Amino acid sequence: MSHILECTGLTKRYPKRDVNAAEDITFSVNEGEIFAIIGPNGAGKTTTIRMIATLLQPTSGEAQIGGFSLVKEPEKIRKIITYLPDEAGAYKGMTGIHYLEFMASLFAENPKQLEGFVQRGEEICKLGDKLRDKIGSYSRGMIRKLLLARAVMTSPKLAIMDEATSGLDVINALEIRRMIKELAVSENMAFLLSSHNMLEIEYLADRVALITDGKISRVGTVTELKAEYNARNLEEVFEKAVSNNAIS
Amino acid sequence: MQFRNLLKKELRELFTLQVIMSMLTSVVLLVLMGQMFGGAVDSAEEQSGAANIAVVDTSNPEFMNQVMSVVEQNLKVSKYNVTSDDYASELKRLEIDNLVVIPEGFAESILNGEPGKIDFISTVKVGGLTSSLSTITSSASISVISHVIQTMVLSGNYGLTETQINTLWNNVVAVEYATFDGKIVNASAEEITGNVMMQMLIAPLVIFFLLFMASQMIMTAISTEKIDKTLETLLSAPVSRLTLLFAKLLAAIIAALANAAAMTVGMFFYMDGLSGGIMGELTGTAGDAMSQLGLSLGVMDYILFGVQLFFTIAIGLGISLILGALATDIKSVQSLLMTMMMVILVPFAACLIADVNAMSPLFKTIMYLIPFTHSYMAIPNLMTGQMALFWFGLIYQIIFFAVVMYFAVKMFTSDKLFTMSFDFSNRRQRSDVRRQSGK
Repeated sequence: MSHILECTGLTKRYPKRDVNAAEDITFSVNEGEIFAIIGPNGAGKTTTIRMIATLLQPTSGEAQIGGFSLVKEPEKIRKIITYLPDEAGAYKGMTGIHYLEFMASLFAENPKQLEGFVQRGEEICKLGDKLRDKIGSYSRGMIRKLLLARAVMTSPKLAIMDEATSGLDVINALEIRRMIKELAVSENMAFLLSSHNMLEIEYLADRVALITDGKISRVGTVTELKAEYNARNLEEVFEKAVSNNAIS
Repeated sequence: MQFRNLLKKELRELFTLQVIMSMLTSVVLLVLMGQMFGGAVDSAEEQSGAANIAVVDTSNPEFMNQVMSVVEQNLKVSKYNVTSDDYASELKRLEIDNLVVIPEGFAESILNGEPGKIDFISTVKVGGLTSSLSTITSSASISVISHVIQTMVLSGNYGLTETQINTLWNNVVAVEYATFDGKIVNASAEEITGNVMMQMLIAPLVIFFLLFMASQMIMTAISTEKIDKTLETLLSAPVSRLTLLFAKLLAAIIAALANAAAMTVGMFFYMDGLSGGIMGELTGTAGDAMSQLGLSLGVMDYILFGVQLFFTIAIGLGISLILGALATDIKSVQSLLMTMMMVILVPFAACLIADVNAMSPLFKTIMYLIPFTHSYMAIPNLMTGQMALFWFGLIYQIIFFAVVMYFAVKMFTSDKLFTMSFDFSNRRQRSDVRRQSGK
């Protein structure tokens, strides 16, 4: 199985604040794999994700995404990834369908492809006639479904999602988790997730990276991590990893 | 206790450091404006303190001396000697803006029971509202002279019949001349100045509202995109960041120009209605007089003004785009918008009230450094043919625009869009981070 993402020593430093928001981040994600980054607040999850999404430039280190260099070829990387930020909104004045069309137009190379992307987006979000309404009238769950559909409708090689189900009710969250799993299997789409919801990660992730104080402390499958920390679930793994790190 | 805590919490939320900084900025700017306008008003008042009168009539010195002595009891008078009837040159030689000339034969006409003719020559002022103050004092002197002569003739024994005295109720006729740049026309300078002011008012008002709306529009748009994180979504999509930047700018320019067109049409009808058809009148007598004085705008002037208007909007949008991208929340947007408004408002008020070129070197420099000052001064500069000042303003704006765009491009093509912010609490956050990380 080949890597879709391979990070080597990714570091983001803010010299003025004298802080390394992310330091020496090294891990890889395989094609069709669901990879999760977990860690406490301010640990460096979003910084790492934003670097991989080409929004932040690494101070040092490198990453290869689909064979392209993150440092040298970010514009090529943007063609094969999609990014769904935490608590992201959409253009309230647009209708759902107009939003899908607009976002698809940024990725599509011809009208036929654009049409295909939008059709797929419509099917994934399952918003039906509501897609003809203004996004301003949508509930939070509907917006998240629309954004998720937008993120996967172009069949990216790597979908990066920060808190994919945050703020959603149980039913909507379950629906989205199932969809992620299904896309990973059926389309070999890789997912890089960040979440505070350990149950969600345990259900979704093939492998997990623990990040604390800007550094990755462990990478492994949920089973491996549970065994290593002698924990019953990922929440306990997280608790032990964080407290160990605080002591050391 | 509950109320006190609630009040404390509300006050703390309302009086953030950004809000306090905005308030202080407003105070500083208003004090500066007061200083600037105070100087301009003082200078205008100084000029308006005395009525400039030149007595050319030598036919009856006794009568004229008597008239002037009574006039001087009622009015502060500065006396001048006029050596030729080329009044435009005389005003230039005497370094004054206006002059009341009592010409040869004035006393003779009055004493013959005929109305006496007085020449009132005034320079057309193309500046702020304060620049016309000196003209008002000299213009008032004509009614004083008229009143003095009426009183003298009625009370004195000048051998006039009752019929002659009765015809002298309108004994002084002022013939008004307007001069500008060495040219002179037989028209009221006050009326021409009024018309010039009307024309000059429309352009700065349009520019002001245009900048206000455009800045608000783009600053709100970009900050909303940043706060809603739709900008992150866009920037991670396969679209060139420069394309994104210029699409935003161009859309804002198109919207601003549409606003400008609507505003101009609205202002035209507003001013037209307000002045009872001033635009129609401009094509008549006052319009002809303005053309003769070289105070009308040609097609090329309008083209040049359009070019400057474009750069004005572009600069306003560029600055607002950068500021909007620095906003972290709605409060910081409001603070930044307020600061931007002050930068737009100060030169607008300065150009409307005072003549920027007549300000002290310090204030003049400050005003010239604000790029929008040159936009507000464009019409007066074009109208008075001060092309060197116009070109200086336009070139300065082009350079300023290039600098603004350099920073905008740098911001959009790097990660500064996400790492920089307008947040005074950063200092506290930084120290928290250091404390937490033990560094």
